[in-house]
Amino acid sequence: MISSIHTINILLPIFYFATLVVYFYDFLKGEVKLVNVKRVFLFITLFLHLVYIVMRTIAFDHPPITNVFEIFTILAITISFSYFLVELVSDIRGTGPFIIILPLIFQLISSLFIQDLTEVKEVLRSNLLGIHVISALLGYSGFTISAVYGFLYLTLYKDIKLNKFGLIFNRLPNLEVLERLSLYSAVIGFVALTIAIIIGVIWLPVAFPKFSYLDPKLVGSTMVWLLYAAGITSKIMGKWRGKKLVILSISGFIVAIISTILSNFLAQSFHSFY
Amino acid sequence: MNLIAISINHRTASVDLREAVHLKEDEIRPFINLAKENQIKEGLILSTCNRTEIFGIPNNNEASHENFQNLLLNFKAAQNISEHNFQKFISRDAIRHLFSVATGIDSLLIGDNQVFKQVKDSFQVAEEANFTGYIMHRIFDAAIRTGKRAISETAISEGAVTISYAAVQLTEKIFSNLSKKSALVIGTGETGEIAAKHLSEKGIGSLAVTNRTQEKAEKLAEKLNAKVIPFDDFKESIYKFDIIISATAAPDILVRKDDVKTALKKRSNNPMILMDIAVPRDIDPATKEIDYVFYHDLDSLNIIVDQNLAKRKSEIPKVEKIIEEEIDNFWEWYNSLQAAPAIKDLRDFFEDIRNEEVEKNKNKFSSEDQEKLDIVTKRIINKILHHPTIELRKADENSNSVDSSTKIGIIRDLFGINSRKKSEKE
Repeated sequence: MISSIHTINILLPIFYFATLVVYFYDFLKGEVKLVNVKRVFLFITLFLHLVYIVMRTIAFDHPPITNVFEIFTILAITISFSYFLVELVSDIRGTGPFIIILPLIFQLISSLFIQDLTEVKEVLRSNLLGIHVISALLGYSGFTISAVYGFLYLTLYKDIKLNKFGLIFNRLPNLEVLERLSLYSAVIGFVALTIAIIIGVIWLPVAFPKFSYLDPKLVGSTMVWLLYAAGITSKIMGKWRGKKLVILSISGFIVAIISTILSNFLAQSFHSFY
Repeated sequence: MNLIAISINHRTASVDLREAVHLKEDEIRPFINLAKENQIKEGLILSTCNRTEIFGIPNNNEASHENFQNLLLNFKAAQNISEHNFQKFISRDAIRHLFSVATGIDSLLIGDNQVFKQVKDSFQVAEEANFTGYIMHRIFDAAIRTGKRAISETAISEGAVTISYAAVQLTEKIFSNLSKKSALVIGTGETGEIAAKHLSEKGIGSLAVTNRTQEKAEKLAEKLNAKVIPFDDFKESIYKFDIIISATAAPDILVRKDDVKTALKKRSNNPMILMDIAVPRDIDPATKEIDYVFYHDLDSLNIIVDQNLAKRKSEIPKVEKIIEEEIDNFWEWYNSLQAAPAIKDLRDFFEDIRNEEVEKNKNKFSSEDQEKLDIVTKRIINKILHHPTIELRKADENSNSVDSSTKIGIIRDLFGINSRKKSEKE
């Protein structure tokens, strides 16, 4: 089993890369024939990834959520799975390559540095922790996808304003759809992050004696949460829309990334386990 | 095959000459009757603003392109049109030309699918006027199949290639659902009218028009089920519209940057599309600097049109390949209408049936009777086929090959000989 895990670990970035190539080729050529081919590629990659995660969980006796490289592989699968759903449900073409590149990067880093951990702290085997981490990751996947759609919105917005009618103009869905996709993914991410924070605030002080409300990751996540809360509220109230909203989403994503990097690599925190 | 075609089109003649021979809807049937009187048994008449085409299969081999031309020129009493204003085609080339027209690669606006509809309509007219025989029918089917294949298998008709369509295409890149949007068309001249029609066809939620001459606006509004806004105070209501298309002949700017700014504030920054397709322009180009305002004029729409035309041009070789495939298919069928191979196929068909039944049942007979069984069944088949064989040979010797081909075609269809041979091949 361990050797198959190692093989799939090498295969996964290659599969993501192949999927990205097909998506990118389709973006350039726009051939109808490729629509199903690219979905098959993505589906096979997702399936392989799922098998990989299940095998890891069994073989090492814990879900792969205990350090940043394990988390990256989960992030890769949640992003590509969310995108797979978006593509199936909305039948929107042309945005794939911009999303698939993210799981490729996350999986590549994960594959390079991940280790066969069998010894993990007892606290990391808790079910509540599992829900906490998975909902936090879903939240961040939602924000990531939201930011990508936000970025595509800004690109198309600029192209239309400047009369640039190239590939972006021809292949992307319209501005309203991009805005909606960005908003929906942000809302899903927001709900998931809310759950993660609630569980964290209630349960973590009990489980970790070192717990502090000034923990950098907690402060960072709360800032991100507040940003999205403000954006979503203003959208519901009809105050903000379009460009402003997607800029907010992109800023939220950047804050999220920075806070993750800071709290994982620089600060000393009870959130670090390795 | 003696299919003859003449074509006067945008490449061979100027607008006035094309107009001189244009056959209006109510002229086509009388013209078909005239053609029938003049020994053209079956055919097709296609007349649009860019082309007038006559396809026909004459009753005798003496008929020529000149007969076709004279028929048209006499009917329309057209002058100043000479020989070189006509393109002439015969046989396989005539079919290729028809397919090229149907697929839109012969059109002024490449890939124009309007012409495909016109070709279909003219087929229907020919059919209703009893101007279509067995062969022509088959040509129609092939032409329609070719046209459909070109649309579905290539990008020959994709993308907007007129200014007003480009405007609509651009709109669809900004808004997702036109049925929830409202539009105002300023100026109901020809361009404005076309733009309003496109919007209406695309299912715009609500449409309003305004024009300096109120009656003209009212007339168009009635046609398209739109509202009319008085021209003098349309500026006060521009904030109500998501899309504004302006196409007036006004010499000065009608909508200023400040007007748009005020409107945008009133609609709390809900995006607005301003399409200025007038020369000189009606809307201040500086409006494009405002956030959430998408301002486009003729220059920017022309970029889209040029791009799409170039893309369509690059699809022509693919369409030509489809045309050649369909001509080959048609030709294979047509060649099967020769008498000699048809007689052989018919005889083989019956012989196969006879043979199969004899083989299946001969064990029920004694060995002496088996030989007799063979002889008797062969005799029956020969007697059945005697008369059809003579008729087919006679028809073939006759100069009128359309009749012969028709007969052979019907026999093949009746007994399913073509399909049988094809399935054997597969």
